[in-house]
Amino acid sequence: MPDMVLRLLQGGLGNLAAYLAAHVLLCLVPAFYIAGAMTALVPKESVTRFLGRSAPKWIAYPGAALAGSVLAVCSCTIVPLFAGIYKKGAGLGPAITFLFFAPAGNILALVYTGGVIGVDLAMARLVLSLTFGIGIGMIMALIFSREDLAHDRESDALFAGQGKIRRAGLIFLLILVTLLLAGTSKIGLLTNAYIQITLPIAGMDSFQDAIYRLVPYDASKGQEGVTAQGAILIGLLVLIGVTSWRGLNRIHEGYNAWTWIAMSLVGLTVLTAALGMSPHAGGFDVQFTGRFYGVLLALAALTWLMFKRLSKDELRDWLWESWRFVKQIFPLLVGGVFAVGVIRVLIKPEWIETLAGQNTILGNLAGVLFGVFMYFPTLVEVPIANMFLGLGMHRGPLLAYLMADPELSLQSILMISVVIGRLKAWVYVGWVVLFSTLAGLIYGAWVEGTPLGVLAMYLGVLMAGPGIALWLVGRHNHRRVIKAESRSAD
Amino acid sequence: MLTIKVLGPGCANCKALEGVARKAVDSLGIEAEIIKVEDYAQIMQYHILATPALVVNEKVVVSGRVPGVDQVTSLLADAAMQAP
Repeated sequence: MPDMVLRLLQGGLGNLAAYLAAHVLLCLVPAFYIAGAMTALVPKESVTRFLGRSAPKWIAYPGAALAGSVLAVCSCTIVPLFAGIYKKGAGLGPAITFLFFAPAGNILALVYTGGVIGVDLAMARLVLSLTFGIGIGMIMALIFSREDLAHDRESDALFAGQGKIRRAGLIFLLILVTLLLAGTSKIGLLTNAYIQITLPIAGMDSFQDAIYRLVPYDASKGQEGVTAQGAILIGLLVLIGVTSWRGLNRIHEGYNAWTWIAMSLVGLTVLTAALGMSPHAGGFDVQFTGRFYGVLLALAALTWLMFKRLSKDELRDWLWESWRFVKQIFPLLVGGVFAVGVIRVLIKPEWIETLAGQNTILGNLAGVLFGVFMYFPTLVEVPIANMFLGLGMHRGPLLAYLMADPELSLQSILMISVVIGRLKAWVYVGWVVLFSTLAGLIYGAWVEGTPLGVLAMYLGVLMAGPGIALWLVGRHNHRRVIKAESRSAD
Repeated sequence: MLTIKVLGPGCANCKALEGVARKAVDSLGIEAEIIKVEDYAQIMQYHILATPALVVNEKVVVSGRVPGVDQVTSLLADAAMQAP
């Protein structure tokens, strides 16, 4: 019995360690700050002004998708924004597109998916969420077009608002993205070590061996284990947590010393993650890779911008929003990853393989239904998907699960039905299930070797249907409105 | 007396805004009533795009972000002078 408990604990801890490894931190930490920057520095009006009633459909739908990827990260912001966009005059279609695309197309979700599972899956998630997001939006607009017309009358001056992102803000955002790319791209320029020094600190290698014994890993299963560098990074993360709590939690009352300590620690952590470290007997080598220099340069540029170009409000808003995301998402992520590691020990691969090992309709549907009915906090769907992958789930059903999970939970369906009514909400759920299954099937087919051109053609035909129908209905309604107006003018 | 409403469905930003509003009221020492509005239907009555939002005497003064205590203090001071 105690042996089993030990195995479960090690499973949990091992999983946690893999998710806090250097390469994950290098993509996750910048991503939180990018999300914070988008929320704080991009005025919502600069994007929502494309969603107004009078905006042509080929601007409104992509605009809604853009809004989804740039304006919102967790369901706490997505649903209120959806309510705001819908009630303030955007059509049902663009609002639904926003609602569908935001959970899947935001920076944190994409970066984390790419860093943990693979760039191909992240790209597939992005492209298919975008296509189907626009598709579902158009279909909902079609089905409910008559009601939409009535709702149309309340158009709102909110969408005539201007608002543009300031140049300093844009540059700041771009350098944050550069930091992310410098930290994660696997190109030779970055991975090569340009200077190597050997620190005469003995004992690092036996420290690392001790960790390996404490938290064993299975290289054949693709697990990485905790290195000495990983342990150092985890320690730094804990320090960041403590100092950030003291320095950022009451930031609206003013900065204090802890604020700057916390920020310096974040920079230090990212730099440490960018180094190469190899312990050996008698000391350990520290490699100053290209990545290290790239990250260092980006950090320097960001610091300069922070103090010389961002306004006081912008700086504080950015720090607060980034910290808010961290507070909200990171603890649950850690808990979720640990739980996934524990559960993984208990699930037999055969179960997963029978159900979803092949790219079948049943397999994809199973993935989708699991995502719909199980609620997991933001981002935790990624480690869960990774676990299923390791247990034998085919990549098709995996994508189906990833598409469905962040979209729907009983709680968010409830909130959505308050905004658009129960009928529309459940129709939306139905279409999400259908399209997520389809997305999984399509991606799975690509993985199995179906050429991209064939799939693109299928997608094109599938999406053209609702598009043309919507255009025709729009013209028909437009003529009806004109007839009604000319009749009342007589 | 000022009527201050904090609009938000209960997320971290709305709670932060409420805290900021309270601090501002305390530092000014004025008479004010702070009401938290969490009901969606009521929030949508005020024409805002994103929560949280601060409403003083039925006028939306801040929306979509959490302002600093100093900014809210000066907003409240202005409002108190205009409508005694």
